[in-house]
Amino acid sequence: MLIKVRSVANVGLESVGVTVEVDVAEAGFPGFTIVGLANKAVEEARERVKTAIHNSGMDFPPKKITVNLAPADLPKEGGAYDLPIAVGILAASGQISPQAPGLSGQLFYGELGLDGATRATKGVLLVGLFAKKSQVYVPIESANEAAVVEGIEVYPVRNLKELVDHLNGVKEITKLNSLPIDQLIEDVIPDFDLADVAGQEQAKRALTIAAAGGHNLVMWGPPGTGKTMLARAMPGILPQLSGAEALEVTRIYSVAGMLSAGESIIRRRPFRAPHHGISAAGMVGGGSNPLPGEVSLAHLGVLFLDEMAEFPRGVLESLRQPMEDGLVGIVRAAAHVTYPAGFSLVAAVNPCPCGYLGHPRRECKCTDLQIRKYRGRMSGPILDRIDLHVQVPAVEIEKLTADNTPSDPPLNLRGGRKGELLTSREIREKVIQARKIQDERFRKSGIYTNSQMKNKHVKQFCKLDPEVSRILRLAVEKFDLSARAYYRMIKVARTIADLEGSAEIATIHMAEALQYRQVG
Amino acid sequence: MSGLGKIENRITGKIAEEAAGLYLENLGYRVIMRNFSTRYGEIDLICADEKITVFVEVKAKKGLKFGTPEEMFTRYKYEKVKRMAVVYLKGQEVPCRIDMVAVEMGENQRVKSMRYYKNVVF
Repeated sequence: MLIKVRSVANVGLESVGVTVEVDVAEAGFPGFTIVGLANKAVEEARERVKTAIHNSGMDFPPKKITVNLAPADLPKEGGAYDLPIAVGILAASGQISPQAPGLSGQLFYGELGLDGATRATKGVLLVGLFAKKSQVYVPIESANEAAVVEGIEVYPVRNLKELVDHLNGVKEITKLNSLPIDQLIEDVIPDFDLADVAGQEQAKRALTIAAAGGHNLVMWGPPGTGKTMLARAMPGILPQLSGAEALEVTRIYSVAGMLSAGESIIRRRPFRAPHHGISAAGMVGGGSNPLPGEVSLAHLGVLFLDEMAEFPRGVLESLRQPMEDGLVGIVRAAAHVTYPAGFSLVAAVNPCPCGYLGHPRRECKCTDLQIRKYRGRMSGPILDRIDLHVQVPAVEIEKLTADNTPSDPPLNLRGGRKGELLTSREIREKVIQARKIQDERFRKSGIYTNSQMKNKHVKQFCKLDPEVSRILRLAVEKFDLSARAYYRMIKVARTIADLEGSAEIATIHMAEALQYRQVG
Repeated sequence: MSGLGKIENRITGKIAEEAAGLYLENLGYRVIMRNFSTRYGEIDLICADEKITVFVEVKAKKGLKFGTPEEMFTRYKYEKVKRMAVVYLKGQEVPCRIDMVAVEMGENQRVKSMRYYKNVVF
């Protein structure tokens, strides 16, 4: 008897419907064959399904069983077809009533253990999004992922036996209540509060701008001055994820299989800090069926490159396209996949190999050649794509011992109380205000932040008055800035103006933006 | 496994082959040879189904605790039978096929059930 069960294949972030056709033939030598470009993991479903059915107290029919995964030319991988295959076999051998209400278009997706229990399976969120209005049967451990999708019915399957009883109408599985995304998003308690970092007002200001406009930032400075601490404080000043953003991030994590069991969505903005030993495939994504890399895992969050100069040159160069386009295309023989990669880059670099170039008290021991080679590891095109360059100099001892109350903090970092620094929470309020202005501005443009503006957006939204234009032109001539840098300056100035709540880009905004040009 | 068990298994096999031969003769086949064996392997039964030479593998199992006899007939075993068939035919181009008889044995070396599969392919 022939039974068709519906399932899903995920190719990158796209889902394709797969029909699992199971034929249990009355005649013919008993055997179990799976066809339809199944990889090793799918092939091995044979042993898992067979044993799982036995151990669930049902009979594995000793007949000629042929399973076809259609469409035939799409490579299938992973253990997710265990469940539909098992259901197909049980239905085709009469152990599930072929008229069972679950077999007319509902989706089955999940890996089985030998004991018949389901296992957490990656990509369940995508199955939910693909399902539209139908019902999905997924492993209980991953079911919460699908529960955030509106309009579908999610049945969490604990084991094969329960599923069979449900389909036969013996004992129903309770379907999951849908989870409202907005209530799941968490407030971030940052590891470091910006108020805890001594001094470094300019760096903090740059961080604020970076957070407000989604700009890229590089911090130059000797060891031990707080570059890493500042970067780690970044998530604390970024606004919470919106529902739509959380879904976008979670899709990526679901495909990568990086959601922990029982988790429904990614609740916080990602902060990814890959070690500099990372490969290019690890950074941008790779594999024969490409999985997302760090740039995609940092989507809508922060990608922090500590000791940027230590990263292999090829890895840094591979960041160029994602930084520009906000997405990354990975081409392999078997698949062509595009993942979003809209991250803010935060990098920390020493000014030279020994780290003490420009230090007020310690001597730099590097030769010119060494410094040149060190800087050469970060190519011009990469540095040109970074909007904000900021020095994080050695801290003077007075500031460290001053109990965080510098006598005269700069205006824009001053809190309500006189002489006190703003905490991360207070800075975040300003960032959120600035982002609100941007949301308003880009409502119909399909982008979120100033840094994502294309040139046409810059022309549309950033009208410069003649005086501001003049300053910018002077800077471009004097520092020989590239056309890209020109537009980036305007975008930074736009963010600074937004932080001040100013509709126009004023001279001081542009002047401040020019401060953050490339140093050294 | 004790030495006695081994002998017992061989007897089981013999009984099963005997039963399978009778079964096939009942179907109208002519048994040409039993236990065609060389140093490379063995074919349990060689029969003639009219003009077709049939190579038969007989698998006997006592109880189903370790699986069905059908499961014991693997692709490897199939290839082995096929190779032996080539040896037997010595290059003659005749119509032929490979069949399998699965025998389940009950208590006291009695045949419990028998299933016959024509033209097995892997």
